[in-house]
Amino acid sequence: MAGIVGILAFDQVWNVSKFLYYSLVGLQHRGYATSGVALLDGKIREKINDVPPEDLEVDIGGWAGLGYAGTRRGYPVVTDDAALVIDGVIKVDLNEFSKRLVTDPESAILSAKGAFSLIALTRDGNLIAYRDETGLRPLALGGFGFDMGIIASEPVAMWVIGGEFRREVKPGEMILMSRLNVSTKQLREPRKAYCSIEYVYQARIDSYVNESEVYQVRVRIGELLAEERPLEADVVIGVPDTALPFALGYSRRLNIPLELGFTRTGSPIRTMLASDDFLKIVGVQLKLNPVRGAVHSKRVVLIDDSMVTGTTLKNTIASLRRLGAKEVHVLIGSPKLVSPCPYGVEVPEEKELIAANLREEEIAKVLGADSIHWLSLEGLRRALTSSSLCMGCMTRSYPKVIQ
Amino acid sequence: MKVLLIGEGAREHVLAESLGNSSESYRVYALSSYINPGIMEVVRKTGGEYLRGNVSSQEDVREAIRTVGPDFGVVGPEDPLFHGVADEFRKEGLPVIGPSKTCSQIEKSKVWMRELMWKYQIDGRLRFRAFTSLEEASKFIMEYGGSVAVKPSEQVGGKGVKVVADLQAYLSKEKRSALSRSVDEIGSLVKSEVKIIIEEKVDGPEYTLHVLTDGYSYLPLPLAQDYKHAYQDGIGPETGGMGSISGPGNLLPFITREEYEKTFEIVKRTAESISKETGDTYRGFISGQMMLTELWGPTVIEFYSRMGDPETSAIIPRISSDFGRILQLAAEGRLAKAMLEVVPEPAVVWAVAPLGYPLRRDLASGKEFQLDLERMREKGCKVYFGSIAYEGGKLISKGSRALELVSIGDFEESSRRLESCVKLINSNTELIYRTDIGRGIWEQQDKAEIVRYSYLNRVKRGTLGVSKDWSPNGGLW
Ligand code: SF4
Repeated sequence: MAGIVGILAFDQVWNVSKFLYYSLVGLQHRGYATSGVALLDGKIREKINDVPPEDLEVDIGGWAGLGYAGTRRGYPVVTDDAALVIDGVIKVDLNEFSKRLVTDPESAILSAKGAFSLIALTRDGNLIAYRDETGLRPLALGGFGFDMGIIASEPVAMWVIGGEFRREVKPGEMILMSRLNVSTKQLREPRKAYCSIEYVYQARIDSYVNESEVYQVRVRIGELLAEERPLEADVVIGVPDTALPFALGYSRRLNIPLELGFTRTGSPIRTMLASDDFLKIVGVQLKLNPVRGAVHSKRVVLIDDSMVTGTTLKNTIASLRRLGAKEVHVLIGSPKLVSPCPYGVEVPEEKELIAANLREEEIAKVLGADSIHWLSLEGLRRALTSSSLCMGCMTRSYPKVIQ
Repeated sequence: MKVLLIGEGAREHVLAESLGNSSESYRVYALSSYINPGIMEVVRKTGGEYLRGNVSSQEDVREAIRTVGPDFGVVGPEDPLFHGVADEFRKEGLPVIGPSKTCSQIEKSKVWMRELMWKYQIDGRLRFRAFTSLEEASKFIMEYGGSVAVKPSEQVGGKGVKVVADLQAYLSKEKRSALSRSVDEIGSLVKSEVKIIIEEKVDGPEYTLHVLTDGYSYLPLPLAQDYKHAYQDGIGPETGGMGSISGPGNLLPFITREEYEKTFEIVKRTAESISKETGDTYRGFISGQMMLTELWGPTVIEFYSRMGDPETSAIIPRISSDFGRILQLAAEGRLAKAMLEVVPEPAVVWAVAPLGYPLRRDLASGKEFQLDLERMREKGCKVYFGSIAYEGGKLISKGSRALELVSIGDFEESSRRLESCVKLINSNTELIYRTDIGRGIWEQQDKAEIVRYSYLNRVKRGTLGVSKDWSPNGGLW
């Protein structure tokens, strides 16, 4: 799972390193365990570290560059010919691939197996980008005034630096960007299978991905949860930031007041993605401090975006009860995660997924919740207007087989 | 009747064609610095003569007037106007389209233009500062707290404009230091004493209103919009325009009738104010390069003292009445008699340039073009020749936008038609053009609607055009 970005200035008076840095910070919700940049100024130099983008010290400059924020070490990959960043999975020898990419991008890309979005920067200052025909990983195209062209996982990477989002890269489309031209070519017919998890919790709520406004989709999910499971309750609270629009949609539909149930300590580290169990525990306490005044002597509907092992939620529910919640009903804005993701999104192994192993009543007992409900697959399909979706981690049926 | 046309671009090709097609059967003569194949065809067809020379030289133009003995003249580009070419016609007592050297300052000097707008309190004006010293301009940029647009104080072929929004405080240092570095570059382009003008930055959809005047009447043409970014999807450096749209009707899909009328009022008042200020009647085209902003609604970015290119090829082909004759009437001071009729369908224009435009003109020059004109016309595209010369039986590029392809009809249909026409162009270099022109109209409608909420709210609150900025070191501006 990753956020990737490429920036190219048309005039070499610009040093794009700070632009790259802030773009990456704007993408760190997509993964923050490791991050890196590569910048071109005569030659390509890189700076990579196992820290979130925020903490990356970028002391190199250049007029074009790439950035990576995610869970895989070693990006941007820098070879003799180019630098590369990838979101998704690609089955190639990157050294050889980058050589071919520079001489014949079209055939190199067509021969690469996988489900991915990629951005490459060549030594002579060309950006090459491709989003595979399934569109499983997002990719967007934009610019910064008359000065820069930008390609990034999500438009937020452009907005945070004051740039303009122009459009999404189409599945199967290649973009070639140089100082002298931007050209596009449809290399394969689209066979759209947008990742549903993008809408549910991956993308930022102010983002636009896979032909939808993320915020609107999430509010709609909340409304559909209300239709599927209308509860008798006094307050609705959502886990920030992802689940807040769910809670809002639910509250509006049923006229149950929305309260601000949590406040945050430290930076918003996504507990689900934390690889270290200790961090998960510490993470949850750092992240979520329930607000007593919002839940005391109330019947509470608690909405979250997903559930992996349930540890996070169990702790949260216990805290809510300690603060005087009379009842705690749990709603999850996504269908049950029952299977891993073969396309590079960190959905854990089946044995770690509580929903793949236990029945609902058992899960409610483990969590200490009064009741629990997941959005149905049908509900998710209704919330997402697009009909071409991947729901593999919820249905075990996958749109693309990668040999 | 003989008409002498000055200029050599696609705009002049369009003007030549409308003169050539007029029921007045003009003989079209032209003075160009190179042989434009399109103008050549019109000249030949109407029995005129094609002269070569420097279009911005008063002498060359005097000489051409002497050779041709025209009944009236049409000056296309701005540079000849800045050099007093229209005055040469008037000195001989000849009617001409094009303002005097004095009046064309409205385009040439950005500072004079802004001062005039403030002096005569014309709506749609922006706050500005003029700088003679580059260091002071740089200092102002580094200190100042708002969003600014930095421009050369003079029209230098559309070059050197840098615009920077400063909404992200954490990046302002990088943005401003890049800007202050380019100030030196901008300043080096300008010959006059005042080098740099810095304006408050505004945002919104852009559009152009062309008004033709003989000093008595004012004839507004249909609105047009040009696309400034060089590359596909609105990315890339600034150009003179990689394409344009006009219509439907007199409007654009994202500009209302009231906004059109308000814009006409602004342009007309500006022409009148120029006449008042200089004591010299403004005659010819005056074009408002406008932006619909939350500050004013219709807002002036700059004025042209001529028609825009590539807007011309989106507008004139839509005119169904005799535009050649309208030009003559305007030149002769009888514009009140003119009848302007426009087809309801919109037009879409795609400009085609050789790779290298606009950053590496050297790469974009001297390239050979071949086109299947007949088949392009069969498909319903008009083709105008721009920065391309007829040399030794070949079409050779001159470094800028070589061709403009025009289609009249619904936006989507036109885009498809142009897409198939552009494939009939061959060249020994890669070609640059934008297939997104005329597409994504709804996005512009959305953008316009957003600024409309705000400026209409300002009208209600009585704060139209009111803005200020403050910075700790720079103070209130
Ligand atoms: S399997 Fe799940 S996480 Fe992976 S792409 Fe499909 S929907 Fe997204």
